[in-house]
Amino acid sequence: MLTEALTTERVDGSVSAVHDALTANGLGPYFGTPCGVLAPLLSLLERGGDYHVVAREDNAVGVAAGASLAGACPVVLMQNSGLGQSVNALASLVVPYRIPMLLIISMRGTAPDTTTENLAMGRLTGPVLEGLGIGYEYLTGAGAERQLAKAATVVREKRLPCALLVRPDEFAWKV
Amino acid sequence: MTLTKTAAVTVALAQAPGLPTVFTTGYAARIGAAAGGHNHFYMTGSMGLALSLGTGIAMHSRRTTLVVDGDGSLLMNPVGLVMAGARPDLPLIHLVLDDGAYASTGGQRSPGDSVDLPGWARACGFSRVHTVGSEEALAAVLREELRNPPAPVFVQCRVTSDTTAPPPRVTDDLEGITARFSEFLAPQV
Repeated sequence: MLTEALTTERVDGSVSAVHDALTANGLGPYFGTPCGVLAPLLSLLERGGDYHVVAREDNAVGVAAGASLAGACPVVLMQNSGLGQSVNALASLVVPYRIPMLLIISMRGTAPDTTTENLAMGRLTGPVLEGLGIGYEYLTGAGAERQLAKAATVVREKRLPCALLVRPDEFAWKV
Repeated sequence: MTLTKTAAVTVALAQAPGLPTVFTTGYAARIGAAAGGHNHFYMTGSMGLALSLGTGIAMHSRRTTLVVDGDGSLLMNPVGLVMAGARPDLPLIHLVLDDGAYASTGGQRSPGDSVDLPGWARACGFSRVHTVGSEEALAAVLREELRNPPAPVFVQCRVTSDTTAPPPRVTDDLEGITARFSEFLAPQV
């Protein structure tokens, strides 16, 4: 019981720290596609007014690109399977046109997620982002304040896309 | 009397001058670029995302946005209709130039013969849906819709592929397109 209580506290802390840091940096609108790992964060974002569910990840990237052209600092939240779906949108629109946005990508197929269908994207997420020239780091609750301030600077001032990766268990997802 | 793709673009730009305008991949972008305009965004890659891009522009700028799309692009990724159609006050005109073909890759037939594109739009929530096939009808629909309150509007425009040579490819300065278009959209202070 004690362990469970501690786990819950840590998890809530990580999710709320990330949510607070997103809000504090004036990021948004948010475009989300479903993801069990990100579910606790998506639930918090859904309570705000500027969260939009998009049926497919590359469409979310497309809508975010439009919002970005119109002056917003959009955030797209997706699972790394959705990154696979979005590669062309990033490769032929976001990167060559230099359209700034923040991607928050959960890392299915990496420990502790052993689901076979996700292993390939687990291996490919880093290399794909590197190949696209999109900078990334792992998002943590403890580092969220610093990481999101930095990401906001990259998006807003350097006018570049960047990505934050989320480990499967960062928000207490279980296999 | 048939309506060519180039003639349809010319009519649309004349009826809707100065709107933020997104041109889809292929000849549409090249025809748009030949017409030129600081209010244009030429989406040279990412086929199928013109409507999504236009939706983001319309949502955030609240300005009526014209998306010049093609049947091939819409068939490749109809998900854009789902998001745009769900927003009854979205100021967006989705103009689909339907020639039943992939003109820029050699004129292969698109797989849309059995698909009711306006029906897709209606099913996704578009309440204002039109099909036109002449310069006069296209001009009349755009004139009327621009007077009406903002809503997602779907216009299927039946066209024939151009028989004349297409304009040259869009310049490689894609970052320049972003900078110019963002500046055009920036709120006036």
